[in-house]
Amino acid sequence: MATYLTISEINHYLKSLFDKDQNLNRVYLKGEISNFKSHTRGHLYFTIKDELSRINAVMFMSAAKTLDFVPEDGMNVLLEGRISIYEATGNYQIYVEKMSVDGVGNLYLEFEKLKAKLAEEGLFDPQHKRLLPKYPQRIGIITAQTGAAVKDIISTIKRRYPICETILFPTLVQGEGAKENIVKQLTKAQAYDLDLIICGRGGGSIEDLWAFNEEIVARAIYNSKIPVISAVGHEIDFTIADFVADLRAPTPTGAAEMAVPSIIEVKQMINQYQLQITKLISNNIKQRKQAVNNLSSKQILKNPLMMYEVKEQKLDNLIDQLNKRISYQLQNTKALLKSKISILQVLNPLKILAKGYSIIESQEQIINSTKQLKIDDMLNIKLYQGQIKAQVKELTNNE
Amino acid sequence: MNKKEKTFEEILADLEQIISELESGSIDLDRTIDKYSEAMKLAKTCNDKLKNATTKVNKILAENDMLEDFKIDE
Repeated sequence: MATYLTISEINHYLKSLFDKDQNLNRVYLKGEISNFKSHTRGHLYFTIKDELSRINAVMFMSAAKTLDFVPEDGMNVLLEGRISIYEATGNYQIYVEKMSVDGVGNLYLEFEKLKAKLAEEGLFDPQHKRLLPKYPQRIGIITAQTGAAVKDIISTIKRRYPICETILFPTLVQGEGAKENIVKQLTKAQAYDLDLIICGRGGGSIEDLWAFNEEIVARAIYNSKIPVISAVGHEIDFTIADFVADLRAPTPTGAAEMAVPSIIEVKQMINQYQLQITKLISNNIKQRKQAVNNLSSKQILKNPLMMYEVKEQKLDNLIDQLNKRISYQLQNTKALLKSKISILQVLNPLKILAKGYSIIESQEQIINSTKQLKIDDMLNIKLYQGQIKAQVKELTNNE
Repeated sequence: MNKKEKTFEEILADLEQIISELESGSIDLDRTIDKYSEAMKLAKTCNDKLKNATTKVNKILAENDMLEDFKIDE
């Protein structure tokens, strides 16, 4: 007669076997951390693994607070602890008491090396980034045929922009053959008259995402003639594919949102344009009307005679100015003449003659010295009134 | 006009071009009216394209390299 155990009973039994084993009570392990989670209560949960195998690990807060570094995925570490069974799930795990860093995680090292190499070659340079079409008609999707990523991408595209065609190029996204598969589909996709390619997968551990850190995948993305949006994992995951792609999306859903516009917004935009055009035209005509009004309201068009009035007035002013100028000139000349006349009056010899002086001439010469004369010369004496003819009788030189 | 039909993107670009020309006020009056009717025609074409376009069926590239319809289970 068989005895049926409950699950709790068998798990409890197995746990007691583990706990009795001296070897399991104190184990030293080395491996790489992945799936690292820090619980809010301070306990750390992660997986420790090598190339072939893995084991779950837990480090309770009391032990975790003695750590002198922040553990993260990809780190190679040395562990000390005991291995036991968590009865609730039946999983065995290592209860870590001490942990220290064992060099840099190999995958991270590879990642950084490849990143540096491709950056050096210029694969990430902004000038190689292709412009994404604003209104794509046909989008290629390179991801796993099943799973959340393909659903998220296609349903988001259909919701936002249902008139866009999608073609799925199904590929392995993790594990053996994934990188070759991605490259093959990227190459095939070139022949399908696509406006855009979305290439990616949903979230996972760094190992799960690793295909997108492979050099051949990076080069295939770089060589694509069609713009590529990368959408690998979650917001925090950065892969080489992200650096080389024309645009990095934080998630597959994000990639679809970046790839297509919202058809509602496009319709609104076109309506807006129609309103804008009508407004522009009516403003344009209004402005021209206003310009015509402004011109026709000018005084000169209303009263063209005014133009003459202005000129006439100007003419009058000029005449006035001219008159003023002439009379001034005339007065000046008159005054000048008057002064000259008075000078002349002073100098007039007749005036001197009136006082009793006279002028003596001989042979058409005015005589002012006896040396000019001889006895018997004829003299003509001019008086104030009348003349006298005379003859020289005697000459006295009064020197 | 036997030219290849313009894409939605090209028509929209033409429309935007006319709007910026109208905004700059550099077009004379006679041509303004022409541009207006052209722009309205373009806007209508865009709207029609959006209205008449039907939801496209998703495709998948099958093993045999043929395109087949692809349904995602919601």
